[in-house]
Amino acid sequence: MGEERRQFEETFLPFLDAAYNLARWIVQHDQDAQDIVQEAYLRAFKGFHGFRGGNGRAWLLTIVRNTAYSWIHKHSEDERLVPYEEEKHAKIISFDQSTREMVSEKRKEYLQNALLRLPAEYREIIVLYEFEGLSYKELASALGVPVGTVMSRLSRARRRLQQELSHIRSAEAVNEL
Amino acid sequence: MNCEEARQSLDAYVDGELELTRQLGMETHLAECASCQDAAERITTRSSILRINMPDYKAPPALKSKVRATLRKVDRPNPQWLTDHGWQIAAAAALVVCSCALCWTWLSLSPSKEKGLIAEAISNHSRSLMDSHLVDCASGDQHTVRPWFNGKLDYSPPVPDLTQAGYTLIGGRLDILEERPVAAIVYQHGNHVINLFVWPATDQKIDIDVQSERGYHFCGWNKGRLNFFCISEISAADLETFEDEVREHVNL
Repeated sequence: MGEERRQFEETFLPFLDAAYNLARWIVQHDQDAQDIVQEAYLRAFKGFHGFRGGNGRAWLLTIVRNTAYSWIHKHSEDERLVPYEEEKHAKIISFDQSTREMVSEKRKEYLQNALLRLPAEYREIIVLYEFEGLSYKELASALGVPVGTVMSRLSRARRRLQQELSHIRSAEAVNEL
Repeated sequence: MNCEEARQSLDAYVDGELELTRQLGMETHLAECASCQDAAERITTRSSILRINMPDYKAPPALKSKVRATLRKVDRPNPQWLTDHGWQIAAAAALVVCSCALCWTWLSLSPSKEKGLIAEAISNHSRSLMDSHLVDCASGDQHTVRPWFNGKLDYSPPVPDLTQAGYTLIGGRLDILEERPVAAIVYQHGNHVINLFVWPATDQKIDIDVQSERGYHFCGWNKGRLNFFCISEISAADLETFEDEVREHVNL
């Protein structure tokens, strides 16, 4: 007793920010995200025996993600969290060229808003890939889908994000007129 | 590969996630198709813009200790667990009695070095409280306390700053444990004083789980080439947190 917990803490507490960030992006609420992170660490600790080394970060984030979804399932009928519908979300969107000229702070704000407007499935795959650096294979195991689905979902998520960014920016441009 | 096929796996290509054969097919296509090449470049640019600018949420400072507290709770079976598993406890108790008897025999045959160490540390601690000789170097600054030990000891003890966790550094003192000079680093938590003894683990690495004796709680551990022993009147849980904090802030 004690030693195993310490080993667990030494391995996984360094990923606390990543865990919180992911939970926060999925549920968009500070206290809920904190509860989820605590619950996820508890689950991870109980399953520590099953952890065979390898990418601890990906392993933990998978648990955070699953915990977040069972938490949502239990607690909320929030509309923003509607299940993913391939048909509805699969529209092809044209690219926008002027993204690179945005100044950084404004860009952050736009990005934040655009990300929040994405369906949860798109948001999480972008956070997990672009931010947490999971590979397609790790994404597939974290999301419980084939690699082919990861490929198409990430691609659509990026286009959708681009679309949201254009919306936000053109709305802003109209306001400034 | 035509444009339509290429567009479908362009993201995966940019991410370096295509299998080799498709990767080569894509490279051939891109060499011939300026529009797909353009699209690939846009994906690359956007991805890097996103990585640089993605707003991230940092875990609130209190979350770490909350997570730790949760873990500690499950790591220690609670009374509910006891009532649920009463009969198992009874069986285990019988076993414990036997092993205790065995241990006691063993202990009395080979006097434990840790026992002596604990007794010494307790008397050091209580003396430090009574003699108004708590610190030789009174300072809340780790960069003052740490150099103060230079030349007084043949090793350099770490002096972690634990203010954020609620453990305030008050200073350092030289003390004696097992007939050698050791660093005593003194912290305050609430109204209570914590003595943290640090010395090289030359002949023995210690591992003492939190215990209590004469109204004090104490525990000891080893990290790198150093032994650590802390003792105080604070609760066992607070002392555990203190240990966790020291472990985390000491990189050896």
